[in-house]
Amino acid sequence: MVEVAHNLLLGFQVALTPAVLGYAFLGCVIGTLVGMLPGVGPLTGISLLLPVTFGLNPTIALVMLAGVYYGAMYGGSTTSILMRIPGEAASVMTCVDGYELTRQGRAGAALAIAAIGSFSAGTISVIGLMLLAPPLAAIALKFGPPEYAALLVLGLLVLAFLSGGAMVKTLAMAVLGLLLGTIGIDAMSGFMRFSYGITELADGVGIVPVAVGLFGVSEVLLSARNGAGTRVQQPKLRELLPSRSELRDSAAPIARGTLLGFFIGIVPGSAHVISSFVSYALERRLARDPRRFGRGAIEGVAGPEAANNSAASGALVPLLALGVPSGALPAVMLAALLIHGVTPGPLLIQNNPEIFWGLIASMYVGNLVLLILNLPMIGLFINLLRIPFSYLYPLILVFCVLGVYAINQSAVDIWIMLVMGAAGYVLRKLDFETAPIVLGLILAPMLELSVRQALAMSAGDYAIFFTRPIAAGMLAIAATILLYALWSAFTRRALWRKTVGLEE
Amino acid sequence: MLHGSRVLAGALAAAASCALQAAEPYPVRPILLVVPFPPGGVVELVGRPLAASMEKFLKQPVVISNKPGAAGAVGNAFVASAEPDGYKLLMSLSSISVIPEADKLFNRKPAYTLEQLLPIARVSADPTVLVVQSSAPWKSIKELVDDAKARPAQISFSSSGIYGALHVPAEMLALAAGTKFRHVPFSGGGPATTALLGGHVQFSVQGPSAVAGHVKANRMRLLAHWGGRKLDLFPELPSLKELGYDVEYYIWSGMFAPAKTPPAIVNTLRKAVADAVADADFRNAMDKISTPIQYLDQPEFTRFFAADGKRLAAAVRKIGRVEEKK
Repeated sequence: MVEVAHNLLLGFQVALTPAVLGYAFLGCVIGTLVGMLPGVGPLTGISLLLPVTFGLNPTIALVMLAGVYYGAMYGGSTTSILMRIPGEAASVMTCVDGYELTRQGRAGAALAIAAIGSFSAGTISVIGLMLLAPPLAAIALKFGPPEYAALLVLGLLVLAFLSGGAMVKTLAMAVLGLLLGTIGIDAMSGFMRFSYGITELADGVGIVPVAVGLFGVSEVLLSARNGAGTRVQQPKLRELLPSRSELRDSAAPIARGTLLGFFIGIVPGSAHVISSFVSYALERRLARDPRRFGRGAIEGVAGPEAANNSAASGALVPLLALGVPSGALPAVMLAALLIHGVTPGPLLIQNNPEIFWGLIASMYVGNLVLLILNLPMIGLFINLLRIPFSYLYPLILVFCVLGVYAINQSAVDIWIMLVMGAAGYVLRKLDFETAPIVLGLILAPMLELSVRQALAMSAGDYAIFFTRPIAAGMLAIAATILLYALWSAFTRRALWRKTVGLEE
Repeated sequence: MLHGSRVLAGALAAAASCALQAAEPYPVRPILLVVPFPPGGVVELVGRPLAASMEKFLKQPVVISNKPGAAGAVGNAFVASAEPDGYKLLMSLSSISVIPEADKLFNRKPAYTLEQLLPIARVSADPTVLVVQSSAPWKSIKELVDDAKARPAQISFSSSGIYGALHVPAEMLALAAGTKFRHVPFSGGGPATTALLGGHVQFSVQGPSAVAGHVKANRMRLLAHWGGRKLDLFPELPSLKELGYDVEYYIWSGMFAPAKTPPAIVNTLRKAVADAVADADFRNAMDKISTPIQYLDQPEFTRFFAADGKRLAAAVRKIGRVEEKK
């Protein structure tokens, strides 16, 4: 403990030098901007900035790139809440209740809660990163394909709790998402599936184009149809801040989201995307009145936002402790480290303590910078809502197209977004929720790949899922949840029959 | 009359613009260097400093653009069918010759053909290495191969994806040794490394720089490499050729232009790459990522590319379609 304090002191000495502080600030600002643009996520931001850092010393470069990384996680919530455009896949759940709150004139509160949630999650998860990195990373490695498959099965169950609407409709949308997820090259045999000769579809349907289409574009279409019916928001200053009860309601979801996100983030692979979905489902399940979800529940913003920020720090655990990137983003960070002649892993903490502890300390500082930066900006962002819709919505569409194109520089992605926008419009007119489509699309390829990898490991023997303790344990939890849900559905129906019977 | 003169004027203008174009110095505007992979891969790590050094000699910005998709096919095809004006170039990986072959295997319309691309220069080449966990029982390739012969298709390995840069060499070894390994593909070299570290597979094929840190930290052990000469990073490591397996495999990166690019432009580019690989900044950057510069100018690169392509195509055909259950 004394050692950690001593090391942290060293870290702060590094982090608080004017140059490092300046670049951390710059990174955070760029990250926030990058996160706000739909499509242009932290991945694009970091890769674009990578060459700029060539001339800098490794600590400064790393601190700045990390700033972009978690800054983008902050920024992603802004457009989700104000305009229902998810900046990246992890912000999809923030769109649902965040935008409802905006329509009820509580945009300021939602943004503030998102910022506070992100700050708490960021700060607490850095403590986790600092204290637990080496032991946790070793456990994370135990997550092979069978464990990953079991985790994703748990993720699938979450679908059932995602939406407040009819269960059949939710599941129908989830299946649609899962079907979309089967498009693309089959990783096990190299066959193209449902790509119809379009090379760009070999990697499957992108998540961001679908999310931006289903949420952002469909919202623009719906509002255009409503025409004069939608009024321009005129938020007053005192409405910008969350009320005391909103703060109180958010505290527990933030804490739960932080823990959940951190542990999901550690798992190698891209599972961190589902952290915000799982957090949302958890909050909905725990809420006294689940019907508020989807109609502007502040917990539906607080939990997922905390979870996705915390997952971002969690993802750095295997990277820094083992030199193993757990997803595309940490992989770019790894590349950045290597370019600067730093090899991550257990030797990093020994050989370059100033880099490891400097980064840790700068993450504390950076999170504070982001909070200070973002809270006053809320007033500014809210003013966007004063722009009349006839000007704002074409602009939103332009940004959607630009952002989606920027991901892969692919025109096919724009078409996917537009088709999904039209589909989202029709589905929402028919009262279908669109979030399960996105989750299905995220889960399908990951689940399929890990199940088939596991079977490749065992030469087709399904016992592999039940003989490995972590996988078996998670599947047992999944089975319990399923049985519990079935049972409660059963008893509830009996209860309902009884009440109906009584009325007759 | 009026009509005729207009046509004449048009023709004259066209001729003039042609003449202008021929005389137009190259380059006069920024050059796009397409990297057909997502950010962070080896091609980008080589390409970014290369582009930075080329700028110094071309006096025009060389902008890297990631165009990922279908394991590189999207970006390769993009440049293959681009205007041959020297402003859209490709920085790609050895897998460039595997993709059309895999397309043939599945009777697909190929996204591009190798005839559409003109090799400019090879920049780096790294033979792949075979790694096991440091706790693994095998101390040499012979032990591994003997074990695999005793229980074919039981020993599993992780790769970056089917027919990818880490799958093909393993299958080449299996063919040369007359045995079979169990293939578990992952989506990228990083996850393949993680799977080996976690003990979910028994060996992996990797680029030397990707595993150098793990070998140093004593978590992984190298058994052999696929190269023709000693590795800078691990001079002690035997090559498979020395050990009696006739296989050779390199992960190389090189620059390509669309096939019909005029010779004058090609020569400017060759000169720029030659200057760039000699540039101290570039050498420094490559040192840091422990990737050896193995520069080949156009004539040698063209020969190497043809021989390498033939080798890989033969391997892919021998692997054939992977059926799920055997």
